[in-house]
Amino acid sequence: MSAAAPTSSARLSMTQVLLCGAAIVTLSMGIRHGFGLFLQPITMERGWTRETFAFAIAVQNLAWGLAGPFAGALADRYGAFKVIIVGSLFYAAGLVLMAVSTSGLGFTGSAGLLLGMAQSGTTYAVIYGVIGRNVAPEKRSWAMGVAAAAGSFGQFLMVPVENWLIGGFGWQSALFILGCLSLAIVPLAFGLREPKQPAPAGHQQSIGAAVREAFAYPSFQLLMAGYFVCGFQVVFIGVHMPSYLKDSGLSPNVATTALALIGLFNVIGTYAAGSLGQRLPKKYILSSIYALRSLAIVVFLAVPLTPWSVYVFSAVMGVLWLSTVPPTNAVIAQIFGVQYLSMLGGFVFFSHQIGSFLGVWLGGLLYDRTGSYDVVWWLSIALGIFAAAVNLPVKERAILRPGAAPA
Amino acid sequence: MKLRRALAWSAAAVVLLAVFAAYLRPDLAMTLANQLWACF
Repeated sequence: MSAAAPTSSARLSMTQVLLCGAAIVTLSMGIRHGFGLFLQPITMERGWTRETFAFAIAVQNLAWGLAGPFAGALADRYGAFKVIIVGSLFYAAGLVLMAVSTSGLGFTGSAGLLLGMAQSGTTYAVIYGVIGRNVAPEKRSWAMGVAAAAGSFGQFLMVPVENWLIGGFGWQSALFILGCLSLAIVPLAFGLREPKQPAPAGHQQSIGAAVREAFAYPSFQLLMAGYFVCGFQVVFIGVHMPSYLKDSGLSPNVATTALALIGLFNVIGTYAAGSLGQRLPKKYILSSIYALRSLAIVVFLAVPLTPWSVYVFSAVMGVLWLSTVPPTNAVIAQIFGVQYLSMLGGFVFFSHQIGSFLGVWLGGLLYDRTGSYDVVWWLSIALGIFAAAVNLPVKERAILRPGAAPA
Repeated sequence: MKLRRALAWSAAAVVLLAVFAAYLRPDLAMTLANQLWACF
């Protein structure tokens, strides 16, 4: 199918797109978020090291990022609902195989590769393509904020749910139940089935031309650079902050409450960022988010470390956590139009995942080399200032194409 | 319309606070804390 913006009469209703899209990302972002809870039971029963488990999750994150542009291109070309259905089937298969894998290789293939590809087909980039094509530009950023908030809520919700499932049914049955739950994405995908559109008149762009155009456009490069920093900061803090708190002598409950606060305020922050995107230039929202992250880290490091300083920092970082997602994707739609929105969103997300990988890896490496997290904290601050600066020159107006109607 | 909006926001707040309360339950707090600490 052609994935150019449909005529208003052929659009899906906004309520339908939001309900189905939000439910899909709640499930797809939520299920994966509780995987850490499976570390101990799986490694104990299988006799594996933590490295085996951690390697599979690292592969999952890289596969998610690498497969993103391809899943997005397929969604833009053949229809998002088909990609979402395949993603849902991959999700279910990955969870079932994760439960029955008895070798490290099998576990990496299922929990890593298969689930990473499943996520690329069922998360933001693909859903945002449908939102972009079916929600009017004056409500697009808000709608993306709703979908992002749903994903954040899924992450927040599924940790206690998965803990309850593991406690009540055992880890293996819990994975089977989650596999069944992931199949609920299939009927929801039909709610995002877009009507076939006649080929748009005027300018026709191929996938290759869209990629070349985006990568040659400075604003796209700047958005990718900013999203790289987002991944670096969020994952460094999410993974290494508990260790930082432990080194500082704080109790384990402080880290747990901090994670809960990040989850709670993340839902609020993503929704607020999407709503603000309807009223303010998105580049200023993005620049402010990155600047505020740096400021929050500076203040956190400057004040004496107490449980309350951790709670306030967690709440502030929670508001800023995934709030970059709606404005980044909305500005891509604004510049390049919606025909290849999922694919371009996939490329930007790939940059995010590279940043995530470096945030985890450098956090550990520099801690081992220097004996503290100080260098990485200051690196995070510097990167935040860099990201705040590079978002300012982003040109939000639609790119000019010869012979094309405005995006 | 205003009432519906207020009810929707109130329902969202209740759900969020209920999930937050789940994190403070001793069993989940213990599990998460043990897992987090065991990693380092």
